[in-house]
Amino acid sequence: MDINMGNGGIGEPVVRRDAMAKALGLAQYAADFPHENTAYAALTLSKVARGRISRLDTAAAEAVAGVRLVLTHRSLNESLGDETFVMKGGHMQSSFLPLSSDEIHYAGQIVSLTIADTQEAAEEAARLVAIDYTTEPASASIDDAGLTEEPADSGIDVGDAEAAFAAAEVKVDATYLTPAQHHNPIELYAAAAAWRDGKLLINLPSQWVMGTRAGLAKVFGIPVEDVQVESPYVGGAFGAKASILPHVVLVAMAARRLGRPVKLVVPREAGFTVGSFRPAARSRVRLAATREGKLTAVMHDEVGQSAVIDHVAFPGMEATSKMYASPNIRMRSATVATDVNTPGFMRAPAEAPSFFGFESAMDELAVSLGIDPVELRIMNEPARDPVSGLPWSSRSLVECYRRGAALFGWSARNAKPGSMVAADGTLIGYGCATATYPSAMAPSSARVRLAADGSCVVYCAAHDVGTGAYTVLGQVAADVLGVPDELVTVEMGHSRHPSGPVSGGSITTGSAGSAVHMAARAVRERLFATVAGGQDRTKMTLADRHVVLPDGSRRAISDIIGGLPGGVIEEQADWKPTDMDDKTMRQGLAGGMAFAGPVGETHVSFSFGAQFAEVRIDPLLRTIRVARMVGVFACGRIINPRTARSNLMGGMIWGASSALLEQSQVDRARGRFANTDLASYHFAANADIGEVVVEMLDEHDSVVNAIGAKAVGEVGIVGVPAAIANAVYHATGVRVRKTPILMEDLL
Amino acid sequence: MRPFLYSRAMTLEQAMSEAAQSHAAIMAGGTTLVDLMRGDLAGAEHVIDIGHLPGLAKVELDGPVLRFGALARMADVAELPFLKQNYPALVESLQLAASQQIRNAATLGGNLLQRTRCVYFRDGVSDCNKRVPGSGCAALDGEDREMALFGTSDRCVATYPGDWGTALAAFDTSVEISSASGTKTVKFADFHVAYGDDPARESILQPGEIVTAILVQATPAGRHSTYVKVRDRQSYAYAVTSAAVALELDGDRVTAARVSVGGVASKPWRAPAAEAALVGKVLNEAVALDAGKAAFADARPLRHNGFKIDLGARTVARAAMVAKGKH
Repeated sequence: MDINMGNGGIGEPVVRRDAMAKALGLAQYAADFPHENTAYAALTLSKVARGRISRLDTAAAEAVAGVRLVLTHRSLNESLGDETFVMKGGHMQSSFLPLSSDEIHYAGQIVSLTIADTQEAAEEAARLVAIDYTTEPASASIDDAGLTEEPADSGIDVGDAEAAFAAAEVKVDATYLTPAQHHNPIELYAAAAAWRDGKLLINLPSQWVMGTRAGLAKVFGIPVEDVQVESPYVGGAFGAKASILPHVVLVAMAARRLGRPVKLVVPREAGFTVGSFRPAARSRVRLAATREGKLTAVMHDEVGQSAVIDHVAFPGMEATSKMYASPNIRMRSATVATDVNTPGFMRAPAEAPSFFGFESAMDELAVSLGIDPVELRIMNEPARDPVSGLPWSSRSLVECYRRGAALFGWSARNAKPGSMVAADGTLIGYGCATATYPSAMAPSSARVRLAADGSCVVYCAAHDVGTGAYTVLGQVAADVLGVPDELVTVEMGHSRHPSGPVSGGSITTGSAGSAVHMAARAVRERLFATVAGGQDRTKMTLADRHVVLPDGSRRAISDIIGGLPGGVIEEQADWKPTDMDDKTMRQGLAGGMAFAGPVGETHVSFSFGAQFAEVRIDPLLRTIRVARMVGVFACGRIINPRTARSNLMGGMIWGASSALLEQSQVDRARGRFANTDLASYHFAANADIGEVVVEMLDEHDSVVNAIGAKAVGEVGIVGVPAAIANAVYHATGVRVRKTPILMEDLL
Repeated sequence: MRPFLYSRAMTLEQAMSEAAQSHAAIMAGGTTLVDLMRGDLAGAEHVIDIGHLPGLAKVELDGPVLRFGALARMADVAELPFLKQNYPALVESLQLAASQQIRNAATLGGNLLQRTRCVYFRDGVSDCNKRVPGSGCAALDGEDREMALFGTSDRCVATYPGDWGTALAAFDTSVEISSASGTKTVKFADFHVAYGDDPARESILQPGEIVTAILVQATPAGRHSTYVKVRDRQSYAYAVTSAAVALELDGDRVTAARVSVGGVASKPWRAPAAEAALVGKVLNEAVALDAGKAAFADARPLRHNGFKIDLGARTVARAAMVAKGKH
């Protein structure tokens, strides 16, 4: 079956190359890899949120038949060594390693790891680990009394926003709340570790095999070459599988101690505290404008949930400060330390919570001004970045709004709240909001091998976290080498490959794609050089597995390569973003976190989108349903419109889920997450999502990177919660300044 | 997980005899028991599978009493044309429960015995008198949006989660229970028990007793009946509030009414005050809402679930108006 058209080069909607393997269950995920003689692990988690272990008795657990090891803080006696928290330059999700002491810092902390011959025995023994605690009061909510806000950074100041706000004719001053949320990828966290001759092979779902390798090498004090990390498929990641989670280290330690492979699959409820989460946040937004709708002051004060054990902040000000033209801008962010597992990256970590408040406030301003919310945004479109004064590498937000409004039928909107009612009394609301996400980049290597038969292999230690990267990177190589896409194989998700970047920050296509492009071009240059014979290589082209020479003659690449020693042309390239120095590039390629952008020396690069939502609200029961959504995005060059559309659509669906359903409920009395299973942690079912229309503008960005591709992965979620909240206001006249928006908020 | 013995019963008699032993559990569809066992919430050492036993899945709808064999599958019963026509409330309660995959496996008898989704019961950690009698109730000062307004005690405020059970409560329903000592029939209202001193006890079922049928007295009110389920998510979610209403009408005037409410009580909950508020009235939206309010007059709200009084009243009102429109 071939439903792909053309050669499968850049810009074509190639069907994802791993689709069949996944549909047929052939794709092997981390927990599927068999290691001979594997022992199975199970976790015991802390029942209290803060305190110390006062009594620990593993006798009953050790007495279970088949139990091989019960690791606790008494028996571990190992540490992270020189390795540390990802925000401090390391690779760990937290600077705290459970089992490193008797201290309990958060509910659900790992207090023992039990290993047995069978999964059942491990689980039964883990249940029998007897622990008593001395407890201290704990706070898992930023709203608890007695907590203090600590400034997270120096903020952003342009002009004098306080004065401009005080003097303004029209203003909005409101505070918006977003809850803690958990990623809950369908593929659970897992790790399987095997040591052989002092070398570690670890299978785990990973967004960062190179970083994980570098980090584990440091933890165990062994050369990086002695660690291999394998993660060919990832069943949902969303930021949760980038840094090294604590169980990974403990499983590797257990495997080394036992001299036997050890596997752990972290149960759903344990994932809430073994993994990371999106921290709760509070946004106070103040906007001021002239009566005509020109912004005169933009102020955003964010407070984010952090942890006592690690300081973490995800302020959205870098993006919100750049949204609209205003002579006066003031941004501040602060954190509140709570007794929780360290929060982490979750799809658009900074932008999704902050844009709910910011874009809701823009809607409130539009209402106050009596100006259409689409027009208000267009009126305040900045020609340059209002903070740095630099030009955009590309910015097509106005075009997104114009096209989105047309697709959505925005002109049919009656601005009066509650004025649009269906025949059966259902209240209808239309809302819109802006989405943006920085187009950052990281250095990447890639190797491309072209064989005489035209088949091509791309090697890169980047990852396909379900987004289509296998397909997209293959298309880049196919495009450069003029071979059909189906002849290209892409090998990723293994640390033995040339270094790839973390799959975070929506950078894979732009960064790994640029490295593949560079390597493929090097292959092409060698091909041209081989046949040059004095002809001008710059005038040669590649098409249909032939080199087309300047004189119009054609040489089959099978002939060219077939005559070479080894019968292949293979080239590796190390690509770095334009503004990055070589030292930073080397750090990045060695598994360090090395980002460039979105503010470069000459340009500022963001992806943009305009998002629209229609909600339908039962007039009596107040249930809210999203009937349809439209998103129009400008993300530079789209390598594969099919996978990009899916990615953006997935983001929008998650945005709707976030607006109306998702929250990790905090039991404040006990300082713990309460709804730690999928029956209680609600995300959208198919029935919750109506029509979703996604379009991508044909945007050309010659600045951002070699292939002109800006960020796609995260921008889709960013504006949707506000668009839905704005639609709820339009339907009902009730302004809800928190998510999720529940029916009781409208009673 | 704990090692346990699994056996497939060859006869009902064998199952009843084995089930009389301590720490035995009957498994029919398995959709709730397996879940509970994975969470170490069932304490079963011997699982007796009766799902395949012949004769217990029969549904007889043509007499003065509708008889539902306990092993009839939810999905199958929801498709019965006679039931759709004459008892839409029962069909809707099945269709709106769980997911199609679960309904394909779950049985009507087992459904009655599903246990609460209270997060403190399920988490295996928090104080819970239902899970560990005497340990306390974390919900009393915890997250209580999902908790009950009726039939609670100072030891437990958890909600009965079922839709089918809630709908049955609106009818004259009884439960056929079989054991080695014979077969008995108990009123549905007496089958589940509201929480008192021992919230771990949720029904009158004793070891060795097996639900073999559910019996519903035929009534013309079935035709004007509906089950309305209000939930945060459009599918695959437990009710925040729900209501079953069945009416007998003389024109627009209500001559007999049956009302039950779900998502708000410790057991399937009949609402006689709402019935009284409907009977004799010409049914319109105001009367329907008054009936809804009457249903919740005695509600005991906690800190975060008070909105269910208003939402529950509206749910009853909606159900009454939908039931009126059925024919």
